[in-house]
Amino acid sequence: MKFLLARQAAVLAAVALLPAAGEAIYFRNNISWRSAIAPSEMVTLEQARAWGDAAIWVDARPDDEFARDHVPGALSLNEDRWNELLPQFLAVWSPGKKMVVYCSSLSCNASREVARRLRKEAQLPDVYVLKGGWEAWLKRNR
Amino acid sequence: MIMCLGARAELKWEQTTVELHPAPNDKQAIGHFKYQNTGKTPVHFKSVHASCGCTTAQTQKEEVPPGDKGEITATFNIGDRTGTQIKTVTVETDEATNQKTVLTLKAEIPQQLEVTPNFVFWKQGDKPDSKTINIKVGKDFTVKHIKVTSSTPDFQAKVEDAGSGQFKIDVKPQDTNKVVASMLTIQPEDSQKVFYATARITNVPTAPVAPAGQKPPVAPAAPTAPARPTAPTGQTH
Repeated sequence: MKFLLARQAAVLAAVALLPAAGEAIYFRNNISWRSAIAPSEMVTLEQARAWGDAAIWVDARPDDEFARDHVPGALSLNEDRWNELLPQFLAVWSPGKKMVVYCSSLSCNASREVARRLRKEAQLPDVYVLKGGWEAWLKRNR
Repeated sequence: MIMCLGARAELKWEQTTVELHPAPNDKQAIGHFKYQNTGKTPVHFKSVHASCGCTTAQTQKEEVPPGDKGEITATFNIGDRTGTQIKTVTVETDEATNQKTVLTLKAEIPQQLEVTPNFVFWKQGDKPDSKTINIKVGKDFTVKHIKVTSSTPDFQAKVEDAGSGQFKIDVKPQDTNKVVASMLTIQPEDSQKVFYATARITNVPTAPVAPAGQKPPVAPAAPTAPARPTAPTGQTH
């Protein structure tokens, strides 16, 4: 009986190990310490666009990338110049607005960090990270 | 087979993770990742790619002959970042195995004061009650007093020492009927570093939600914007 249980446990462990190993190999270059973000705090391009004027678009990319091109009407708010840009952003924010923060692509982390700081430091509600970032916007609009 | 394995190129890294503790006024954190080619054939770097625009990485050479040593220098521009920062550099070589190596730079950015929230606001017509901004002194710092000044006379700020390295700033608007904003400058005693918070009276928006498919939104024009802070030299927060 004991042997049977041990064998079943071993089989289960082996079965569990297969997908784990597969994930570890497939995602070996992914950064596991990216800022955790709840799915409810992410927004798709379609959802964000549907908010229309009720949304403020926030560009978390570095200054040079923002200067090159950005979502029309977006405000620049990056961590390179956070102390200088945040007051400018807060002067435009108004209650009830939803914030859509984006960085360059799906894998970038800047939008998550900016969104986190807006929630934690400025204690603003309705801060969302755009899925796919600037790349997703470009793909849809160019 | 054994001969093939013996002849392969192999880059051995001294460490793939570097932990840095920059000083409060540092603008950059630099990590050195040392390597040696322990194989029998040269190794070529195909690409060196940093995870964010705030980090740059440089190789000393494109080709590493057998037995040769070198390093990749990763420079992280701190900007106004705070807390634990983890940046990576992905190095791609032409080795038969381990073509990609992820180098990790971990930097602990010291924070003298934690200001929460750094934004207080009242809607137009709200009761002009005071709101509190909490100040927490960082664990490696000692701050006995702080000075708070408002950029406009529309808000009054009163500091209270809450003990255990904490302060409370009570912010009170003079009048909530006009849309105004003010920059609160928070300066620890005997320190050049300056921290900021914003106080504002906002107007209530009435914009309806637009239907799907509408062109991307345009942010509204700024009302009375607070004076832009000009960061003093060496400021990291």
